[in-house]
Amino acid sequence: MSFLGNLQQKVPFFDRIAESFTPALTRDERFKLQYRLPPDEKILDDTNADISFVGAFSKAHARKESGQTMAYVYSGKLYLTPHFLVFKDTFDENSCDMTLNISTVKRVERAPETSYVFALNVTLYNGTKILIQFLGLRYRSEQFCNLLKDKLKENIPVAKKLPSFLDTCYSEFLINKNVLKLTDINTPKAGLGQKYKYPGNPQLSQEKMKLRLWFDYFKENGLNLAIVKNHIFQKLIRVGVPNRMRGEIWELCSGALYLRYANSDEYQNILEENQGKKSRAIDEIEKDLNRSLPEYTAYQKEEGISRLRNVLTAYSWKNPDVGYCQAMNIVAAGLLIFMTEEQAFWCLTTLCENFVPGYYSKTMYGTLLDQKVFETLVSERLPELWDHIEANDIQLSVVSLPWFLSLFFTSMPLEFAFRIMDIFFMNGYRTLFQVSLAILKVNSEDLLQAEEDGMFIAILKNYFRTLDESAHPDSDDPKFKHITKFQELLVTAFKEFNIITDEMVSQERNKHRKRVFENIEIFVKKTQVRQMPKTFHLKESDLSNIYEIFYQSVETYKISLGTGSANMNFEIFSQFLGKFCDWCKPTSNDTDPIFIQQKNDFLHKLFNDWDVNEAGELTLNNVISGLDKLVTKDLMELLTYFFSLFDGDKDGELKREEVLQMSEALLFLTTPWKSGIYVDDLTLKTIEMDIADNIIKENGDSLNSMEDLTLPTGVTINEEKYKNEQIERYLKAASNFLKRSFEYAKSLELPEDFNLIDLSDNEEDDIKKKKFESIKHNAALDPAHPKAIDVATFRMIILADETYEIFFGRTLRESIHVDEPCDADPSKNRALRGMFDGIIADGRRVAAQVRRRVDSVATTKSAAASIHTTGHSETTSNFANTSRDDRFEDLDDFSSELQEEHEDLLDSPWVEMTMEKEDSEGPERKLLNIPTKKENIEQPDESHNLLEFEA
Amino acid sequence: MNSNVTSVKLVLLGEAAVGKSSIVLRFVSNDFSENKEPTIGAAFLTQRVNIGNHTIKFEIWDTAGQERFASLAPMYYRNAQAALVVYDVTKPQSFIKARHWVKELQEQANKGIIIALVGNKADIIEDGEERKVAREEAEKLAEEEGLLFFETSAKTGNNVNETFLAIGEKIPLKNSSSANDQHHDTNNNNNQRIDLDNNPVDAASNAPGCSC
Repeated sequence: MSFLGNLQQKVPFFDRIAESFTPALTRDERFKLQYRLPPDEKILDDTNADISFVGAFSKAHARKESGQTMAYVYSGKLYLTPHFLVFKDTFDENSCDMTLNISTVKRVERAPETSYVFALNVTLYNGTKILIQFLGLRYRSEQFCNLLKDKLKENIPVAKKLPSFLDTCYSEFLINKNVLKLTDINTPKAGLGQKYKYPGNPQLSQEKMKLRLWFDYFKENGLNLAIVKNHIFQKLIRVGVPNRMRGEIWELCSGALYLRYANSDEYQNILEENQGKKSRAIDEIEKDLNRSLPEYTAYQKEEGISRLRNVLTAYSWKNPDVGYCQAMNIVAAGLLIFMTEEQAFWCLTTLCENFVPGYYSKTMYGTLLDQKVFETLVSERLPELWDHIEANDIQLSVVSLPWFLSLFFTSMPLEFAFRIMDIFFMNGYRTLFQVSLAILKVNSEDLLQAEEDGMFIAILKNYFRTLDESAHPDSDDPKFKHITKFQELLVTAFKEFNIITDEMVSQERNKHRKRVFENIEIFVKKTQVRQMPKTFHLKESDLSNIYEIFYQSVETYKISLGTGSANMNFEIFSQFLGKFCDWCKPTSNDTDPIFIQQKNDFLHKLFNDWDVNEAGELTLNNVISGLDKLVTKDLMELLTYFFSLFDGDKDGELKREEVLQMSEALLFLTTPWKSGIYVDDLTLKTIEMDIADNIIKENGDSLNSMEDLTLPTGVTINEEKYKNEQIERYLKAASNFLKRSFEYAKSLELPEDFNLIDLSDNEEDDIKKKKFESIKHNAALDPAHPKAIDVATFRMIILADETYEIFFGRTLRESIHVDEPCDADPSKNRALRGMFDGIIADGRRVAAQVRRRVDSVATTKSAAASIHTTGHSETTSNFANTSRDDRFEDLDDFSSELQEEHEDLLDSPWVEMTMEKEDSEGPERKLLNIPTKKENIEQPDESHNLLEFEA
Repeated sequence: MNSNVTSVKLVLLGEAAVGKSSIVLRFVSNDFSENKEPTIGAAFLTQRVNIGNHTIKFEIWDTAGQERFASLAPMYYRNAQAALVVYDVTKPQSFIKARHWVKELQEQANKGIIIALVGNKADIIEDGEERKVAREEAEKLAEEEGLLFFETSAKTGNNVNETFLAIGEKIPLKNSSSANDQHHDTNNNNNQRIDLDNNPVDAASNAPGCSC
């Protein structure tokens, strides 16, 4: 309960996280996503232009050679990025969409000038000609050209890689073989399908026809790194890309082609650099290698398995935040049927990062988010079915989640899943939503009959199995009858659900993102808290707080995204403690080199003790276990633990050096009290006693019964006096500690009767003697006597000093605020509340003290009053114990860090307190007024109730 | 629908590749496949079992095992009446994970969920490979947490049916003559859907004892 309550308080914290991940795309980012350009591209300049593209082997080109120039001219916008020229037709963006890698440009020349046209003739490596006519102001066009010239120069080194890269492109091979009639060329390396066949019925004639169509397209419109995409391109994709062409078309449409070209050695390098290395992702990958499209022949053989292993492990090294997620194995296995390892690697990279962002992350936030988006779209587009799903409590995501996560590869026969991939790579993520909606729509009649998950799933399973069958088996029209369920699905998806746009999906994602992230954070927290080590002193709500403070400290770690390291190094550890330990909070001492040294020494001791795996980093569980030891209520246990921190060699004894270290640590730990920032319980008690004394003195014998007790209406506290007393006490405790440590330390010299006892055992004697000599010898190096204290002595020394006894028994534990939820801004409110609480609690305790005294005077006079008093004085009388009422939580903050703040606060309140009588006569109100204005000290109130304290 | 049929929602949880799907495949189809594709999200299967003159219809939710899929699990164990928490007897890590699952189910799932702890791949041990999770250790956990416990082999089929039968026997059966009482007597959310379907009036009635 408290756990959930705490979580609810954290909502503002979640808000900040959600906001920081709400993607507001810049123009550059949108542009890159739209044209699938690599992440380091950006728009350098853009201009309006008319262009015409004459493919090297096109009919128009042929005519041009023969003197007739004729080509389509498109009007649109031309963009320049560091490595690309991109053009998009303004009127019909599907008519001409050119992406040209600058390194393919062989020559640029100014077209013969006519009076007002400024134009460039661009010639590509294969002879393709592009005419660019600039529209607009002349100087802007010149600017663009100058920039283009610079980029052309910069891309010269890139152009050197061009020929070898082109050798890997099947499109280039088609041209070389069929147009240029080259004979000494090899088929470029391709996917496993080249050897192990492609899934589905080999309709060779269709395959050949489709290849031919692509060949014709390339001749007219260019290919791979310099291509114009138009209506025909989209049509060719929609009818299904021929298997041989598929790898390259997927690369081209996804932008993986550009990544591979720009990072030509990276894949091999990653594999080589990480050869033989182990990781969790690798273990997980190994488990699944034999389980990735196992029905496909190549994946029953080492050849297929090893390619899959390489691609998946390479990706896990490239993006360790994702590592490996089940379903990636299936997607990668699918890609490898059509692609080489390197192609598949880059395709997987761009897929994970741009097409299905967050799907495979450690928290799978993208998957969860898109399921929410999908449910919303179903409820909007298929309301009847959605109502049915809701009414029957059917888990839609059980069926839809695998569609999205493994891109239909595990849901429908591969040949159909690949057809969907063709469109997916061209159109992006909206495709998944369009197809999924269409699947539900096409089956909605049957699905409306399904009243439980099982039937729902069975209907869809059966549908996928029969995708190649006729959608209208009973139709008389042979044409109609010929339409397969798959064709029907595509039509429904891309005609009817064409209205589902990327913008729509993206808007829905933004709507749900915050909620999904919150749920993930709550889930992650629950899981982690559940898996925390057993604690003896920390409560569940404490664990919840520590969890929050921990992850606020490890700022690079994003819980909902599952990225970054969740462990803390020493520096973060120090900041972490500073958030809730009074002795570690940033203070003015932080510039004092001695203090810094003390602080670092002690924190290092803690850090090393908690770092049980010697990893140099602390996990959440390390911190929990460590803190648990530090907040024990058992004084002896705490002393033993504290002792062990300094007993470096774990021999049960602290040597001189270790005692000195401990003394330094104590100086550091007690700083806030030693400098009067906080008030400890001894001081508090003294103040209460003084007030009580004065009340008694003031009222004298008139205090006959509790009914007559008037609490003081005005109390002034001479803060300086108590502060100084406390400071003195702490300094004395520190010096006493050192003094006693060396006084009570056991001498390391062996007893004098050493030789007398072990007469018989000569051999052993010798050894002992030698040991003794060596100890003596070492001791001689130290001018002081070699002495050591054991844990019993240490305890005695601490217990001998009231200040340190209270410090270990209570002050230290209570200075570690594991029980306070961390706020975004903890400083102000907490200090304020602390002050009020302090005064109220103080007043109550003062009252209790007074009552106790009155009681002892008038025990016999009023039995009722006595009962009454006991009820309230309990907290005070329990004071000597280590247990403490929660109401006094912030007593330590009695005087806050800031002097001014302290005064302000004391200025303000007339503290009103309510005390309930136990004899059910109804509450009786009594006032304890504590005016603390300085004027009050000088000009005391005339009221007879005023009590004044002076030093 | 036969009124003697009781539907039981059962969920399988456990680390990746311990054989969850294989146990289901053995139970549902009496089949085994060496390289089963990992479950993506979850799979759903059903199987009927006769116990005495009652039929229990297991609605089995087989979940993905990889750690990061854990955030999806609550979706699947929601309203489950039974769970198989599966580990691999040759993988100690999978037993640790099983402990976590048991803890999570006890905290988050329906009260009264029947949990069976299942150590799978017992056949490998017979083939000479070293056992890494002691039977006693698992028995101890099962006893402490009140779980059923079986060591199974999805490959040979050993103990697989027994596991499901043992769960079936612990499920309060839906009694055709007193379906009403049954709804009130059991605290384990015995498939409400069916109760509501069969007794549409009951849901709204003020029958005594119905506090849910």
